[in-house]
Amino acid sequence: MERIVYLDNAATTPVDAAVLDEMEPFFTERFANPMTYMHSSAGDVAHTAVEEARVRVASLIGSNPEQVVFTSGGTESDNWVLKGTVERTSRERLHKPGHLVTAEFEHHAILHSALALQRQGYEVTFVKVGRSGIVDPDDVRRAMRPTTVLVSIMHANNEIGTIQPIADIARVAHEHGALMHTDAVQTAAHIPLDVNTLEVDFLSLSGHKFNGPKGVGILFVRDHAALYPFIDGGGQEWGLRGSTHNVPGIVGLGKAAQLGKERLPGELERLTTLRNMLFDKLSARIDRIAANGDMKQRVPQNLNIRIEGIDNEPLLVAMNEAGIIAAGGSACNAEETVASHVLTSIGCDLKEAKSSIRLSLGYVTTAKDVDYAADVIPGLVKFLRSMA
Amino acid sequence: MDKYSRATIREFMSPSNIGYIDDPSGTGHITDNADAVELTLSIRVEAGRIADAKYRIAGCTALIATLSVLSKELPGKTIDEALALDMPYLSGLLEGLPESKWRCAGYAVQALHLAIEDYQSKTS
Repeated sequence: MERIVYLDNAATTPVDAAVLDEMEPFFTERFANPMTYMHSSAGDVAHTAVEEARVRVASLIGSNPEQVVFTSGGTESDNWVLKGTVERTSRERLHKPGHLVTAEFEHHAILHSALALQRQGYEVTFVKVGRSGIVDPDDVRRAMRPTTVLVSIMHANNEIGTIQPIADIARVAHEHGALMHTDAVQTAAHIPLDVNTLEVDFLSLSGHKFNGPKGVGILFVRDHAALYPFIDGGGQEWGLRGSTHNVPGIVGLGKAAQLGKERLPGELERLTTLRNMLFDKLSARIDRIAANGDMKQRVPQNLNIRIEGIDNEPLLVAMNEAGIIAAGGSACNAEETVASHVLTSIGCDLKEAKSSIRLSLGYVTTAKDVDYAADVIPGLVKFLRSMA
Repeated sequence: MDKYSRATIREFMSPSNIGYIDDPSGTGHITDNADAVELTLSIRVEAGRIADAKYRIAGCTALIATLSVLSKELPGKTIDEALALDMPYLSGLLEGLPESKWRCAGYAVQALHLAIEDYQSKTS
């Protein structure tokens, strides 16, 4: 079989074998609905498994289990927290449309939810981000208004991996009477994460970014009364999120959280070394190459580089032909190649943004993979530059 | 969702006729920063027919593959025959180029038209 070097772990990761093993019985013999646990021993098996998963996820983020609400993933969690808090606080406390503060380089789950709120008459400020790719808490402070309900800043950016000063920003939010949310989809199980250290009221994470299954995530909710439900239905999740529990998915997320927590210290060091090695080798072999965003305050699995004089799209196609899978912008804009909004928000011009690629490592990435990428990519860059 | 045909990938990975023509009969140049495109197509015309076409390109896969098949189609064609080459025809040579890529690949046809205009302005 031809070699595949998968360097798109920020888009998604493979399900760990141990995760799949724990999930499997919940598709078949342990299929019961957890909400039937009071009168059904089969339901109790499923309910116990869901609650065990909740404890494991809580342990990963340093919260109480009852503050972990299962959702279908990061996008739902982001939609829910923005719409649920802004609508509730505006209606019940302010009695007028409230204000949301977020940043220009957020994931589309946040940006498009913010625009949806704007269309409904709520106010939104999109804070600018500089070349470092790190939000300045003072910029957030300047954006605050008496009507600010929520501040939502991602823990690490999904394209450039830069880690944000969430605790400092949360303090600004709280000083102004607003709540604080962070989208931790790129940091959960990758860097140490504690909701109390970060001082956040809400946090989103998604299972498939750390070797769990797709279609399951959580919203950490410090105080259940702070937001309206997003999916109205039965009494699941304290009535905050209707819909029959995705039991296999939740069990898988729990196992991935447990493994992620155990592996974190070792993986943090291993991936940082591999990532830096990859950047050093590429920098030595390709001229006119630079990193996008700060290289130090960055998640270990992310490398985002711009290579002058090439378009990222043919480079990615050529890399794919050589068995290396990576990304241009995020995975969410595949059909028409547009310049990344993240890169343009940190001050790259369109040409720089379109000459950038994201290489993201994961638990499955080996030193051999990194060597192969560092050996092959320079030749492909040379091939493309030779046409220009 | 459309994707690239194998023919497109093959053409892109080993493109024909990269380069400049010395003393060309006409040249078409296109720069578009938003699309990260920098393209120069030059043609040599002999006795009313295109004898040679070469290009230099920084741009997307679709555009590189389209330029490659276009440059192979042009030799032997009259100016009118060359002007009749369009995206549906070139896409067919690539066993179907995704329609979402036609706009960018269309720079190949635009560059040819500019090169022909340049040739005609020199000869008229």
